[in-house]
Amino acid sequence: MVERYLEASVRHTPAGAVVDLRGEIDAFAEEALGAAYAEAEVGDPEAILLNFEGVDYINSTGIALIVGLLAKARASKRRLLACNLSDHYVEIFNITRLSDFMNVFPDEESAIREASGHRSKASAKDLKPEA
Amino acid sequence: MTAPQPSDRAGRDAAWRILAELNVPSEPGNERRATEQVAEVVRPLGLEPGRLERLKTAVAEATMNAMEHGNRYRPETPVVIEVLASDEDLSVRITDEGESPVLSPESQAPDLEAKLEGLQTPRGWGLFLIKNMVDDMRVTGDGAHHTVELVLHLEDPKRGGQ
Repeated sequence: MVERYLEASVRHTPAGAVVDLRGEIDAFAEEALGAAYAEAEVGDPEAILLNFEGVDYINSTGIALIVGLLAKARASKRRLLACNLSDHYVEIFNITRLSDFMNVFPDEESAIREASGHRSKASAKDLKPEA
Repeated sequence: MTAPQPSDRAGRDAAWRILAELNVPSEPGNERRATEQVAEVVRPLGLEPGRLERLKTAVAEATMNAMEHGNRYRPETPVVIEVLASDEDLSVRITDEGESPVLSPESQAPDLEAKLEGLQTPRGWGLFLIKNMVDDMRVTGDGAHHTVELVLHLEDPKRGGQ
């Protein structure tokens, strides 16, 4: 079978950065995933959304890479979100408890909507005068 | 390499049929090849798609462990995969030539919070995933080989069949 190395590209939106992933998330994906995440961090977005729409395989090494990104995001007080996982990988995110630490959405639209809402609430809180 | 006989289970049918024996060179990425070959072999059993995906993940992880930790990624040392079925169970037995002591799946339980705090390596999900993907898992070794046996019940009583 033909191996599909990971390809990743980044889009910056008002709600945060979106990382579009295509291919396989395994040991070979480390460089592409790391570079895309670094690019997504440019501009210090509040949220980074990993879009798994084009991903057909994630193995345990890939899970470890995602854990590494989540640790980075938490260290920067940034939210890491996920969307477009297949049912099988939603189950794996549940089993590993990744979904306890990063919100998983069925599609990009719902993820962006939630990220935008969260951002609005955070902005309102920032504007609230101190007592 | 001759793999041991599949585990017998009290009260279950032990009339195993060998569906296939596969040899996979121990090279990075070959777990995908193994997974697709096993999926093709079990296709006539008509596993429900979700259960097939879980089996594929378990086979991929067990094969990757065998290639990496058992055979140290020596391409000339293949991982042997036997696929067997009885009337009630599917068994996939994955054997490498590792000599180290057999690891217990229970001793490897990963703690995501500890990993996020940097107290554990981010890796170490393989055996945990395998255990959660199949109905039963056994790890055996004889000092010259490790074998991981993955079992799926073909008639899952909790589901009232497949």
